[in-house]
Amino acid sequence: MATGNPGRPAASPFAAASPPAASPFVASAPVVTTPDGPSVRPPPVSGSTITTPFSSAGPMVGTSAPPPFRPGPPAGFVRPSTPAPPGPPPSQVPPASNQFQHFSTPQFSMPHQPPLSRPPPVGFPNMAQPPAQPIMGPPIQLPGVPGPSPPVTFRPPTQTPLAQMAPPPQPYAQGPPAQTPSYHALQPGYVQPPPHQGMTGMHAREHMQQPFSAPPTGSMQDLVEDFNSLSLGAVPGSMDNALDPKALPRPLEGDVEPKAFSEMYPLNCNPKYLRLTTSAIPNSQSLASRWHLPLGAVVCPLAEASKEEEVPIVNFGSAGIIRCRRCRTYVNPYVTFTDGGRKWRCNLCALLNEVSGDYFAQLDATGRRIDADQRPELNKGSVEFVAPTEYMVRPPMPPLYFFLIDVSVSAVRSGMLESTLTQPQMMVVSDVDDVFVPLPDDLLVNLSESRHVVESFLDSLPTMFHDTMNVESAFGPALKAAFMVMRQLGGKLLIFQNSLPSIGVGRLRLRGDDVRVYGTDKEHSLRVAEDPFYKQMAADFSKYQIGVNVYAFSDKYTDLASLGTLSKYTGGQVYFYPSFKSGVQQDKLRHELGRDLTRETAWEAVMRIRCGKGVRFSTYHGNFMLRSTDLLALPAVDCDKAFAMQLCLDETLLTSQTVYFQVALLYTASCGERRIRVHTAAAPVVSDLGEMYRQADTGALVSVLSRLAIEKTLSSKLDDTRTYLLKIIVKALKEYRNLHAVQHRLAGRMIYPESLKYLPLYVLALCKSTPLRGGFADVQLDERCAVGSILMTLPVKSLLKFLYPSLIRVDEFLLKASSLDLQDVEKSIPRLPLTSQSLDPRGLYIFDDGLRFVIWIGSMLPPEVARSLNVDYSSDLSQVNLCESGHEISRRLMGVLNNLRESNAAYYQLCHLVRQGEQPREGLYLLANLIDDQTGGTSGYADWIMQIHRQIPRVRRNQARLQFYALVDIASATHLVKNTGAKWLTGIARTLKASFG
Amino acid sequence: MYWDLILWIIALVSNIALLAILLYQIICLSDLEADYMNPYDSSSKINSLVVPEFILQGVFCALFLVTGHRFMFLVTLPLLVYHARLFSRGAHLLDVTEIFRALSHEKKYRVIKLGVYLCFIFLVIVRCPADTVSILSIFSSEHGELDIRSPFLEF
Repeated sequence: MATGNPGRPAASPFAAASPPAASPFVASAPVVTTPDGPSVRPPPVSGSTITTPFSSAGPMVGTSAPPPFRPGPPAGFVRPSTPAPPGPPPSQVPPASNQFQHFSTPQFSMPHQPPLSRPPPVGFPNMAQPPAQPIMGPPIQLPGVPGPSPPVTFRPPTQTPLAQMAPPPQPYAQGPPAQTPSYHALQPGYVQPPPHQGMTGMHAREHMQQPFSAPPTGSMQDLVEDFNSLSLGAVPGSMDNALDPKALPRPLEGDVEPKAFSEMYPLNCNPKYLRLTTSAIPNSQSLASRWHLPLGAVVCPLAEASKEEEVPIVNFGSAGIIRCRRCRTYVNPYVTFTDGGRKWRCNLCALLNEVSGDYFAQLDATGRRIDADQRPELNKGSVEFVAPTEYMVRPPMPPLYFFLIDVSVSAVRSGMLESTLTQPQMMVVSDVDDVFVPLPDDLLVNLSESRHVVESFLDSLPTMFHDTMNVESAFGPALKAAFMVMRQLGGKLLIFQNSLPSIGVGRLRLRGDDVRVYGTDKEHSLRVAEDPFYKQMAADFSKYQIGVNVYAFSDKYTDLASLGTLSKYTGGQVYFYPSFKSGVQQDKLRHELGRDLTRETAWEAVMRIRCGKGVRFSTYHGNFMLRSTDLLALPAVDCDKAFAMQLCLDETLLTSQTVYFQVALLYTASCGERRIRVHTAAAPVVSDLGEMYRQADTGALVSVLSRLAIEKTLSSKLDDTRTYLLKIIVKALKEYRNLHAVQHRLAGRMIYPESLKYLPLYVLALCKSTPLRGGFADVQLDERCAVGSILMTLPVKSLLKFLYPSLIRVDEFLLKASSLDLQDVEKSIPRLPLTSQSLDPRGLYIFDDGLRFVIWIGSMLPPEVARSLNVDYSSDLSQVNLCESGHEISRRLMGVLNNLRESNAAYYQLCHLVRQGEQPREGLYLLANLIDDQTGGTSGYADWIMQIHRQIPRVRRNQARLQFYALVDIASATHLVKNTGAKWLTGIARTLKASFG
Repeated sequence: MYWDLILWIIALVSNIALLAILLYQIICLSDLEADYMNPYDSSSKINSLVVPEFILQGVFCALFLVTGHRFMFLVTLPLLVYHARLFSRGAHLLDVTEIFRALSHEKKYRVIKLGVYLCFIFLVIVRCPADTVSILSIFSSEHGELDIRSPFLEF
């Protein structure tokens, strides 16, 4: 790769042209067009012409430079001339009248504990320490005596014997507000880091006490404060339908990032870059195995940052980037300096490194570097290092966009060509320059130089193929040709495909129409690539640093399962415009293509996440290709991509108090500079399962779970996947119930941790989401695959929005005379539960899942509103175009929509108008997505909770089991410290195990 | 009468070749695991050897059939059938894109197969001479009256 460009100067051609992001490549133009003498390869046969060889697969249009990023089209959106297209064929949706039967008998609206309204804090009984306990650091608290918060200061784990230098002053004077005082009492390990043996001893004792040391009084309230519960019926035997659907927790405020964690470690990177499924890492494998949810992280390395929290750029210059010699960790706020500032200790592997002369600074009295405040890498969790030449395999390449356009007859008919090609003139570049000189490098032109050529080509393209009758698509050969052109430079390949590849290598057959395959073991094969050609091509693309984005337009089957493979392994994504009509969907295409081309993109990136000793990331989930066991190859990555990964413990028992994670993304920025973006985070190690549950992060958990589920659909049936999700939840809640089993009042209640109160709902939503929903008839196969592929890339916030969309009522807002400014629609209009009971026939509602809007018009909507919106009831609403008329209400509605769109800019949400009672569109667009309701054979929210509850057995032997767990923990701990006295304990554990079967 | 000896030698050689191929594949996978080799090289190296290995194993098995060594044939047949099934399902090649996910499984599969081939070589060494005891006996001096050495050497 590197040697393939001898004609290129060794130094980055962009170094001189440096920063301004505006039009960085003007200076680099000659480089781009220079053919590489010695490396000229045989001309790709099909690349030679637009007129003949792969005439149906389309001319290849390439550009070697990004547009000088001009502002996009004017802010006002051009309205499509015709409205929403017919979606996928109607699926079975029950008539709306059937939907409420389940909710008809809410008998009991009871003790749902509202979040955070906890009774006065009292010590957690299980954890209450007897006065005799010797090791306690903080003032001893009498068991069972409810007192004010214990005067315990929560010290950061950095102040451990391991890292003796005091870290920068951190405002930990009091515990994080969100935590109850019992938290401190229960974490002796935090309060005063004891030596290892002491800790395990305490650990053991703590567990042993659980069954025996229940304090005489006050235990009931104590417990209640630690979890939430749902009353599922007061009278035993009348479990069913005794649940008040209104009392169920719903995430109506959207995604809430866990605050306690970032307050505990203010030096951590922002949670939008890195989120752990639980911010408390288990200290032993046995503990980790009792946490039945995925243990891992979601990383979005390039998440969009607002102006004030932009990631600072650090240039070490000649000193080179400071890294640990052994584990290659980058310098970060958690490293400690010793020896008067001459050495630093790596926080991941504890190795002492020399500080080079250039980087030396004195330490102050607290052992902190005096220049720590000036150095972002020492006081910020996220920094970017400018990478010197050692970090380059080859000089940075100019960003290259290559367009592969399907020009078969269906594409022409749908108007795809026109819309694609008339819109982003600012960025599309073609090969007309030298189309008859089919040398790879001559096919690429610099945009700024040959803009007029490009534009004239684009203008002529629709007419060129105007009367084509060719229905075949030579996708495979065109792909190969594109690969040959691009492999010198890498870049991004945008594929516009409108028909099933039917000629040449990589041709696919129609599949997916076969109902009989569903429900059999072969079902999953429909969702994976049919032809190994696509996997091989994807691997080659990834090897040569080419990212692939697929834009699919067809209403017929295009086998997105196969095409999507290309983007899956190259860090790309799939855009899906079912039955594309240029009149209706051109805005969507324009916005999404524009965003694809103009958002900040990292080229030739590799990502690695390092973590402390004893912990290891084992599996990764998302769109990328693994280049080695822990190195993610990402030819092109941007702010809309997130990756999930799962963690496992290598050692039986972790001895450290804190585990550090460091995400490093090495990439070439669009300005031609090689950079390393580093995010560092710390998380405490805990010995208590309850603490893990308390620190759990639903958003990250759902994110990991959804990726696991999508991957599972590629190897098993949809049904199995849904069962698998249900099982995970049941196991986790069962374990949680066991923790609190001493409670007798809990019969007939489901208990769950406060932090996970939305998890059952999100998992239900996941089971009902497009990729996992129903069976054959419910969703078209292509749509299933496309949405599945989108789910694999979505960052946490967008994913949660997609799973539990917002439903807001806007008619009152629109009618309000006082023109509330439309700054923050999402905050000012409350979200409603996703049930048909929320829909009032007199209202106008917007349903927004981040990918599209559905506007629901009640049958009794005041006529003046309907009139002002230009909605004619007699016509087919799918043909009605929602556009801004002169009327105030219409203007305001557009304002609301635009405001909602701005808040989620990754996709353009197209409006679908739906009138109440209009079947099947209403069912298809809205009712099937009302997650809380029972629709077409799927359970509603209340049912789902009952289903989970029923699967959690009412455990009678909980106490005994707790004892057993405690003993097992002791056994593993003592085994580790090689305490010979452990034998009898192990013996007891074994007997207990035998007696419990 | 020398055919048995020739067969024995051929079987031994092909068995050793099978072992070598498999060892090489395992080494490639270990290198990949230890990050000494990238997945592209590793998978292409392994995949280029998979079909030759299957063919060689098929020949190995067929050899016993045509020479009438039923026991050895039956011992090697299951593996041949397994290979044929893998091949017909198209699952015999490594998938470069998912190679890390399949790494431990692939390695285990190859180590087990290595064990199977070791059993084969053990059988070839122990069993075949038992069949061809007469051949072996030609080397012993008791049968000095049979002048078998010269034709053997001529051959």
